[in-house]
Amino acid sequence: MADLATLTSRITDALGDAVVDQGEARGTLVVRVRPDAWRSTAEIARRSLGFDYLSFIAGIDWMPAPVVGLVEGDTSTPAQPSDMTFGVGGSAGRFQVFAHVQSTAQHTGVTFRTDVDEADPRVESWVSVYPGADWHERECWEMYGFVFEGHPSLRHLYLPSEFEGHPLRKDFPLLAREVKPWPGLTDVEPMPGGDDEAGEEGAA
Amino acid sequence: MGLADSGLLQKPAAKPLTWLLNYSRKYSIWMFQWGLACCAIEMGAALASPRYDMMRLGVIPFPASPRQADLVVISGTVTDKMAPAIRRLYEQMPDPKYVISMGSCANCGGPYWDSYSVTKGIDQILPIDVYVPGCPPRPEALIEAVVMLQERIQNEGIGNDEMRKRWLGEPVNVG
Amino acid sequence: MSTTEQPMTPGFEVDPAAFRHLADAQVNVELDTGDMILNMGPQHPATHGTLRLVVRLDGERVVAADPVIGYMHRGYEKLTEFRTYPQVTTLINRIDWLSSFANEVPFVHAAEQLMEIEAPPRAQYIRTALTELSRIATFLLFLGEMGLQVGALTPAFYGFRDREHVLNLIEAATGGRFHPNFNRIGGLKDDLPWGWIAETRNVMKIVLDACDVFEDLVVGNEIFQARTRSIGIIPGELGASYGVSGSNLRASGVDWDLRRDGAPYLAYPDLDFRVFTHPDGDSFSRYWVRLQETRESARMVLQLLDGMPAGPIMAKVPRIIKVPEGEAWVETENPLGQMGYYVVSKGATGPFRVKIRSASFSNVSILPWMLRGVYVPDVVTILASLYFILGDIDR
Repeated sequence: MADLATLTSRITDALGDAVVDQGEARGTLVVRVRPDAWRSTAEIARRSLGFDYLSFIAGIDWMPAPVVGLVEGDTSTPAQPSDMTFGVGGSAGRFQVFAHVQSTAQHTGVTFRTDVDEADPRVESWVSVYPGADWHERECWEMYGFVFEGHPSLRHLYLPSEFEGHPLRKDFPLLAREVKPWPGLTDVEPMPGGDDEAGEEGAA
Repeated sequence: MGLADSGLLQKPAAKPLTWLLNYSRKYSIWMFQWGLACCAIEMGAALASPRYDMMRLGVIPFPASPRQADLVVISGTVTDKMAPAIRRLYEQMPDPKYVISMGSCANCGGPYWDSYSVTKGIDQILPIDVYVPGCPPRPEALIEAVVMLQERIQNEGIGNDEMRKRWLGEPVNVG
Repeated sequence: MSTTEQPMTPGFEVDPAAFRHLADAQVNVELDTGDMILNMGPQHPATHGTLRLVVRLDGERVVAADPVIGYMHRGYEKLTEFRTYPQVTTLINRIDWLSSFANEVPFVHAAEQLMEIEAPPRAQYIRTALTELSRIATFLLFLGEMGLQVGALTPAFYGFRDREHVLNLIEAATGGRFHPNFNRIGGLKDDLPWGWIAETRNVMKIVLDACDVFEDLVVGNEIFQARTRSIGIIPGELGASYGVSGSNLRASGVDWDLRRDGAPYLAYPDLDFRVFTHPDGDSFSRYWVRLQETRESARMVLQLLDGMPAGPIMAKVPRIIKVPEGEAWVETENPLGQMGYYVVSKGATGPFRVKIRSASFSNVSILPWMLRGVYVPDVVTILASLYFILGDIDR
């Protein structure tokens, strides 16, 4: 495995001014690039830097999720912080697209990230560089609503064609949880021996 | 079935005939060879593996087409996209047909009860005879479900009125 | 064909005249018929689960293929946002439902990285042993059931029979045949039962014998070879750009195994194992590579049992697991290929976003490219040799 610092300098030298920020996520390099340099980043990664393997392309919505039906002291339902914070490399807004590419010969990998405008979510498509981006971008469109320019046919991948909405956005409600909220911890029986450690992991 | 339609089986003298017809039906169930998700692997283990061999009960998973099947086991998660296909497969089966709902996903949505794309239980679209709880249920549980179904079949009336009454009966839970 | 100038198949906008030359010219002139659209699935004995393949045929040859997936889409990534970390562990081992233990490992590893704790060595060894056992269980099923797809019934029974022994072991240690829910953040739930190590040694001998049986019965069979050699060739570089991983990519000659080459995880750095590649890239080589990997997994389990350290099986973790803020990407060599979790945490008891990178999704995305010009029976062989699980594709 190559040293992270050498990898970082190779990538930032090759990308030049397309890089907005970079950071490290527990041993993985994360490089945030300008939105208009998204496709050229892919081309440089594949052709000059030798990253021939596309792992995934996904989106992320940094808006904090609205909390539904949370009971005070209930440990079996997670409560996310209600302020919007961003991850490694920061973000300009609510939406981002991130992709991970790897090199099968040098055994290294890097995650690229870019911002997506909330009002007009358009991203350049990677299909002409990595053919496997086809399905990943269809999934991203379906789940978040990002329009990938240059993609041959952006249509539903997982969901039925009549499905309305983009499920992975934080404001898409999980209606089952709103109609009948998760009841929280029930059946907390003390284990033989006294303490009730068994009850803290609520059943799925 | 000519005998049932012509009303010959309604008479009290036809009881041993009904018993014989039910007996032969319950030990020659042809199961639709089809599974959805993880429960299908347990169903495969129940049928094909020599340890839990369900074929000794007469349940042979030969038909890969529903048009020749008596029994369908819904084994796995039912999604909203797949539900119309399942309904169509069920309607292609000829009468008398039986449905076993295997696993908690098919019973009630299971661990994915709050998902946006999962149908919360196959009984929303099909009538079920036996429910098998578990995630996944052991092959022995599926075998017990089939045995319970066979008991049901044995006690069925097969005159026309009785057949219709079957659909109003209570489903059986595997304990 | 150069990999950069691939014409994309967006649907059916492919000019069938481009493939006319493949069929016999004389027959074509006399029997020039229109194309037929054949729908395989979502219920089909040959597709492994609810995969739907819409193919446009010219006679017996496929002109264009469009896989329609999503019939098993359960919305995992949304569901993980509403569950705590231990609840997510329960959920994610149903992604690849044949080798369930292996699905939990990368997620638990990511959570442990964010919490900056490490599972004790004994827990790492047991986790590795159970991962390799689930790899053996999956591959035994594959070895049997690929024979079934090609037309031989016997290997399927052998595969199921030998798989029962391995499932017994997993059940003895974890309590469940599959979907064991045995991983905890920080270690494992329980220690191994008495006598498990001796029993595992016996079962590994059975597995190695079974591999020899498969080698004689299936690999040496000339009908099997005629049906799988040169069918479904994936060039290595193209496969990598599609994201094909695991044994599929190694069967195309790319020497890349995350157990050896990726970030170190579990007990793999202590083990001595070989990685198998095959230059051909066809269905036969995919079968062959998985057969050799089954043998190698059995040998790895024996090594793990010999070197099993003593000690605790759970690190010190608080009762309510709160993972600090951060992001982590962990990828592992699962039986189906490269599986990874990108976990974004904001310091709560549950994750903020989990991106699940599943292997079969990318393996199946190469089908539109690969199925052009292929005969219909070979479509079945190719689907069997790629070895995907619908839960892994659809999540």
